[in-house]
Amino acid sequence: MIGELIAAALGTMAFALLFGVPAKYYPYCGLIGAAGWLVYSLLFQIGQVFSEPSAVFLATVLVILMSRLFAVRERCPVTIFLICGIFPLVPGAGIYWTAYHLVMNEVELASETGFAAVKSAVAIVLGIVFVFEIPQKFFGFARKKHIE
Amino acid sequence: MEEKLEKQRETEKREDIGQQEETERKEETEKEEKKINSQREVLEAAMLAGHILLENGAEIFRVEETMDRICGYYGVHSESAFVLSNGIFTTAGSQNEQLFAKVAHIPVKGAQLQKVAAVNQLSREIVKGKYTLDEVMEKLNQIRSMPDKPKHMQVLASGLGSASFCFLFGGSLADSAAAFVTGCLLYLYVIYVSAPHLSKIVGNIGGGALVCLLCILEATIIPGLHLNFMVIGSVMPLIPGVAFTNGIRDIADGDYIAGTVRLLDALLVFLSIAAGVGFIINLYDKLAGGMLL
Repeated sequence: MIGELIAAALGTMAFALLFGVPAKYYPYCGLIGAAGWLVYSLLFQIGQVFSEPSAVFLATVLVILMSRLFAVRERCPVTIFLICGIFPLVPGAGIYWTAYHLVMNEVELASETGFAAVKSAVAIVLGIVFVFEIPQKFFGFARKKHIE
Repeated sequence: MEEKLEKQRETEKREDIGQQEETERKEETEKEEKKINSQREVLEAAMLAGHILLENGAEIFRVEETMDRICGYYGVHSESAFVLSNGIFTTAGSQNEQLFAKVAHIPVKGAQLQKVAAVNQLSREIVKGKYTLDEVMEKLNQIRSMPDKPKHMQVLASGLGSASFCFLFGGSLADSAAAFVTGCLLYLYVIYVSAPHLSKIVGNIGGGALVCLLCILEATIIPGLHLNFMVIGSVMPLIPGVAFTNGIRDIADGDYIAGTVRLLDALLVFLSIAAGVGFIINLYDKLAGGMLL
């Protein structure tokens, strides 16, 4: 579990570098990536209380809340944290298995995994859309006191 | 004699007045021209800021907002911008402001989020009144020519990302080490072959195929590796995260055209990767009977 969290943080930070995020924001990106994965795996893989899409949805909600919080705190565009932080939740494995089953002519399995991947993607979409409805003022408390 | 002199004086006076009027008129036209010029410069600066933002993966509403902010601060109030995923249309003009129109085509490029952050910071400082227009132009040009992260760093980051995601999706440590190598090689391909020479579709099909081929090679040489986890981890650097998340956010903001184009872009890349991976798996299955699958 701890290994997975470290992997999620490292992976997110690696992608932050690939997307040209300023170096001082790497720790935030890593933190967001790890937190998203923690929620996802607690709810879905370990707890097994939620279905995969709803676990992905809740993890996305946390990722975006944190991204907006840090964006207000550091006064920078939310995109910086969001794009990297969401990566561990993207259903990369689902897409791979869909392609795999498709070329192996296992149509039933392919449609099953493909449908699951689409559901996860929709969960991410809904998470993003909902949390961005919260007005910016709500995050005002996180603003750093400005010293000039 | 005296009458003549008086007349001469009068005409001289008149000429003087005429000259004065003329110089006044000249000054006025100069002022007008200056105003038009500075208005032009304001719009050019706003356009450049928008260009940098859009090119480097900012959302549509951020581009529009930044352009409005810069124009508003320097006194151009009639400006309005229409932004698509790969172009900006700006016009200005009203009863007291000169007409201005410009269209810029901005091809989709790899995202450099540091530039988005820098322009965002600049626009905040402009509103606080820290810069003249010339300084803004200079700053924007500086931001535009900011260097990317060094190539060897990008390659290593790609490897690290691949290894991390391989582990995350269930691979062992040995799988992750193999994914690290594949991820590095994949990014060399992206930097030197795919990005400069190939189209998006062909480049990503090639990338997916390359990853799959390398993983099969590694799994053949070193027994005990899990091919699936390695491939899943190693294709992650190809995943179009920026296009996907920005597309969703644009659609949520009501920028349907730009959002649709970006989502289509992401979908196309997803399908291309899957096609590349699928092609090699199929081939391997036919040729070697799928020993590792």
